[in-house]
Amino acid sequence: TAAAPRPWRLFGAMCLLRLPRITQPLEKEEEEMAALMEQIELEKSCYSDHEIRKLGEEEQLKRRKESMYDDDEVRGKTVIMAQDLEDKWEQKFLRFEAAPRITDADKSNNRKSLNRKLDSNLMLLVKQKIGNKELWLLPQVEWQPGETLRSTAERAMATFLGDHVQAKTLGNAPYGIYKYKFPRAIRTEDNVGAKVFFFKAFLQSSDLSQAELKEDHLWVTKDELGDYLKPEYLKKINRFLLD
Amino acid sequence: TSSRSVCPHALCSFFFFSSWLPQAVPLRGGHWQSSLLAFRASIPVRAQPKKKKKVDVRREQAQKDRMKKKIKKLEKAAPEMIPIEDFITPLKYSDSNRVRSLPPLSFEETERRVLLMKKWCLFKHKQDKAEKKAIQTLVEAQQEALKELRLESEELYQAAIRRDEGLFPFERDGPNYTPPLPGYDPPEGKSVDITKVYTQ
Repeated sequence: TAAAPRPWRLFGAMCLLRLPRITQPLEKEEEEMAALMEQIELEKSCYSDHEIRKLGEEEQLKRRKESMYDDDEVRGKTVIMAQDLEDKWEQKFLRFEAAPRITDADKSNNRKSLNRKLDSNLMLLVKQKIGNKELWLLPQVEWQPGETLRSTAERAMATFLGDHVQAKTLGNAPYGIYKYKFPRAIRTEDNVGAKVFFFKAFLQSSDLSQAELKEDHLWVTKDELGDYLKPEYLKKINRFLLD
Repeated sequence: TSSRSVCPHALCSFFFFSSWLPQAVPLRGGHWQSSLLAFRASIPVRAQPKKKKKVDVRREQAQKDRMKKKIKKLEKAAPEMIPIEDFITPLKYSDSNRVRSLPPLSFEETERRVLLMKKWCLFKHKQDKAEKKAIQTLVEAQQEALKELRLESEELYQAAIRRDEGLFPFERDGPNYTPPLPGYDPPEGKSVDITKVYTQ
């Protein structure tokens, strides 16, 4: 006997994550602990070759100053001291300029750019038309018979970002589900509501210049999701998002 | 040539026999000499090379067996332990001049350290509990999704719980302290690996 057609429509949605590029700032306890660990390591250590050389040279200098030896005039050759080496290294380090941790996109709060908030996960949100309303959602597309839900989600990603997006989908199983019933006006016997299955993927390439972004899109962190998503939807999504 | 080497031996034996036998028999140097003149033909001159073959073959075989026995003994012996370089402190670091001279810790410092350790313990405990709770909610959400999927269609459910072969091994470069500098040209250099490699 054939199973009766279910009244739920199936959708596959993709939660595309851009992973953090830099480390998160340390908490106060973590900083204190790191300082303590360094101190303890210093106390338990022995002198290294460089330090012994430095100490010996300091001794020599002191002796020379106290008793006014004529050694350096007699010898006439310049000896590189350990302290000079240290100064040279310090200078070289100060000349190097690393890239800033807080980028321009951070300062201008440009939510469309991928260079914002480099220390947290960024998720893709797109504006889609559901029924007759325009809503901010994770990119979703209706399931078509003949494909698995994972391929539906990947198709959703390709629809909004183009075919050249390199993303690693994490497994075949969905991470979460959002079930909703259609408003009474369009509800029928066969069409009660929809189930949206969420999949997760990591963005591999950082260069999306080739992607053809048709609709309105945003890259937001977990805390900023509340500004755009409906509360019920947000509740379901927050369950499978690790900060 | 062989005639010279055999000749004195034949003459010796001839004289020996002549002193020994008091008969008036024409004395001959034993059965191996039919006539004094024909000694080169009768005396088997090729005895030496033949003996060499047998004895050598046997000797060689014995040598090979002895070598094999030695090899087996060496293999049976337990393999030598590879020393862990990190655990062996080189002797030059146990000199007394290497000991660091620092002022002893004050009472306040030790108190501060103990209190900080306790705070750290609590912090880490809270962090661990939060992580475990997050993982728990993750798993629960996934189980709920799979349950709903099963209600929808068995075929899709089976496709979902199939193992993803392409997922592992998963590699990713971890986050650094600063983002990569665009257009940075690292200085040229060559590194020579001097780690000691031990084989058993």
